[in-house]
Amino acid sequence: MRVYVNTFGADIKLRQEVVLAPASSGLRDVLGALREHYRAPLERFLNEDLSPRDGAAVLVNGRNILSLDQCATTVHEGDELTFTVMVAGG
Amino acid sequence: MKGVHGRLLEIDLTQGTTRELSIPEEHFRRYLGGRGLGARLLYDMLPAQTDPLSPDNLLIFLTGPLTGSMATGSSKFVVVTKSPATHAWCDAYSSGRISVQLKKVGYDGMVILGRANHPCYLRIDEQGVDIRDAGHLWGKDSFATEATLREAENDPALGVSSIGPAGENLVKIACINSDLYRQAGRGGVGAVMGSKRLKAIVITGEHDAPLHDRRKVFGLNKANYQRALVSPVAQARMKYGTPLTLNITNAGGILPTKNFQFSTWEKALEKIDSVGVHRSVKKNVSCLSCFIHCGLITEAAEGKYKGATVEGPEYETLGLFGSNLLIDSLPTIIQANVLCDMLGLDTISAGNVIGFLMECCERGLVSPADADGLDVRFGDEEGALAAIEMMAHRRGLGDILAEGVRAAAEHIDGGSDRFAMQVKGLEFPAYDPRGAFGSGLSYAVSPRGACHRRAWPPAKEILGNYPPYTAEGKAEMVRELYDLNGILHSLLVCDMPGKFIPLSMDDYAQYLHAVTGESFSMGDFAQIAGRTETLIRLFNVRDGFGRKDDTLPYRTLFEPLPDGPGKGQCVGEDNLARMLDEYYACRGWDSNGVPTAATLGKYDLAADATAG
Repeated sequence: MRVYVNTFGADIKLRQEVVLAPASSGLRDVLGALREHYRAPLERFLNEDLSPRDGAAVLVNGRNILSLDQCATTVHEGDELTFTVMVAGG
Repeated sequence: MKGVHGRLLEIDLTQGTTRELSIPEEHFRRYLGGRGLGARLLYDMLPAQTDPLSPDNLLIFLTGPLTGSMATGSSKFVVVTKSPATHAWCDAYSSGRISVQLKKVGYDGMVILGRANHPCYLRIDEQGVDIRDAGHLWGKDSFATEATLREAENDPALGVSSIGPAGENLVKIACINSDLYRQAGRGGVGAVMGSKRLKAIVITGEHDAPLHDRRKVFGLNKANYQRALVSPVAQARMKYGTPLTLNITNAGGILPTKNFQFSTWEKALEKIDSVGVHRSVKKNVSCLSCFIHCGLITEAAEGKYKGATVEGPEYETLGLFGSNLLIDSLPTIIQANVLCDMLGLDTISAGNVIGFLMECCERGLVSPADADGLDVRFGDEEGALAAIEMMAHRRGLGDILAEGVRAAAEHIDGGSDRFAMQVKGLEFPAYDPRGAFGSGLSYAVSPRGACHRRAWPPAKEILGNYPPYTAEGKAEMVRELYDLNGILHSLLVCDMPGKFIPLSMDDYAQYLHAVTGESFSMGDFAQIAGRTETLIRLFNVRDGFGRKDDTLPYRTLFEPLPDGPGKGQCVGEDNLARMLDEYYACRGWDSNGVPTAATLGKYDLAADATAG
């Protein structure tokens, strides 16, 4: 599975292409596989159980997983995963 | 109560007189200061149906109880008036030394009325107010005006606020500038100042307001600074500033693009987003009284505008002058920001109006013959910059655009009102409500028109757990956000540090106690926020506003998004109606948005409705 990863925090990385082989297309398995590639960068966004840390959010194609199916959200080929701190205002 | 003086300075420019007005201590308990106190004062002192650009309108500068205390983010002030853009309530916020200096000379605020018979500026110190001739300043831009006044005083702590040519020309999207790069931007407050022939205000004071427990304020700052150092949100904000918001709004599909026709713009990435702006940052800065240095001084690194320098551009400017105009050149946006600051235009409204002009040109509703030869299409950098100058100086078509996007659409006609992105005459900020319906409600019910400061729903709908494309739950969500910001804007602290350190309302109650010696509970805050919002609603209702004005443009209601996560979404009339019904209900207002007798009783405002 090919996904694109954004990280918005103290360091910003845009649309990093990652090829994964998760056990299923469920977000929990995708995040588990992704963490094998990006353990350090994702630590600031994810708890050990793969839930978002306080002050962080995980988006799948721009939608917060908390308003989707959370870790059961289905991830598709070419989807964009965004890990971000809670920005505020403009 | 410590921390406040209980005094206002009233300046009548027609008579050339000044006097002191006392503020009952009860007002601070019931409204805190800033926005809340402004609501009380404007409702009491400004008659209904006052022409905003007449000498009768009031231009009120207010501080808050924390101003001058060194509590983090406390160098804000608010300008309260009746807006010439909307003819409704207006509160426009800014940082600036003037807030602290006003407190130092012994006042919590100043009320300016009348109209001078020639251009003037005010010099205020502890000995009094000097109304001085501003003939040598009239016509100068804001930067030159401030430089001239600072040079005359040779005091780096001097508070200076001024208007540029846009304010002098009564442009209804004109702002008030302070410390060069800080603006009370929205609602045309600069035009109100210009209508009074008041070019600038200079304040210098020496004495801090007495604090209840200064050591405790410093202790809270120290502890909160330690929290900021380990907060990933604060660290990101201090490094990237507000441009980081563009990455989120683009990902979430609420980035205004091509006059709000689209909601994402890939070309923005690494050019005018956090990454692009970060490359041009020369240094990070903070406002007075704030340990979070989230301001960015940027310099155009290349091209025609190489060397142009500004504090910014903030997200709103990047959104409205960047993606909204299909301009991906950061140097051009920096130059646009500089021009707006110098000429005294709100970058949000200016970018919005120019986006509207570009769409009109592309649709053939405005021809080059109508626009002094200008054929401004999306992506036209030179055209956008030329339009800024035309508006500020009211040259040619700029005279129409200077009235704001609603009035421009009425003039141009041809169905252009369908894509004039405004509420109550105030232009949309840089969030498309079709991708976050709560933003639509927030814009619709905002008493000053389309506003991102009353509430910031993307925090809940993009970054939180609220589904974005539904009306469900949005009324209570928006009310909570309004009430939270309502307290921060009455304390007159920046709402940013609180959100990314983060600070709770309990933390602010501790600051407030340290400064004033008074205890405020969460229940007190809720009561103050509800009272303030209801009193401001009464002000607008008294001037004829109601449910009919709490609406959204055709594009937002009926044109489905063609792209992004919200592809196919529009807010729709039914969703808006439901959100309004529920919002009014949770505010205790009737179905037309008029506060009920029970609500007025709850907030001790019954006498106001009778008087109004």
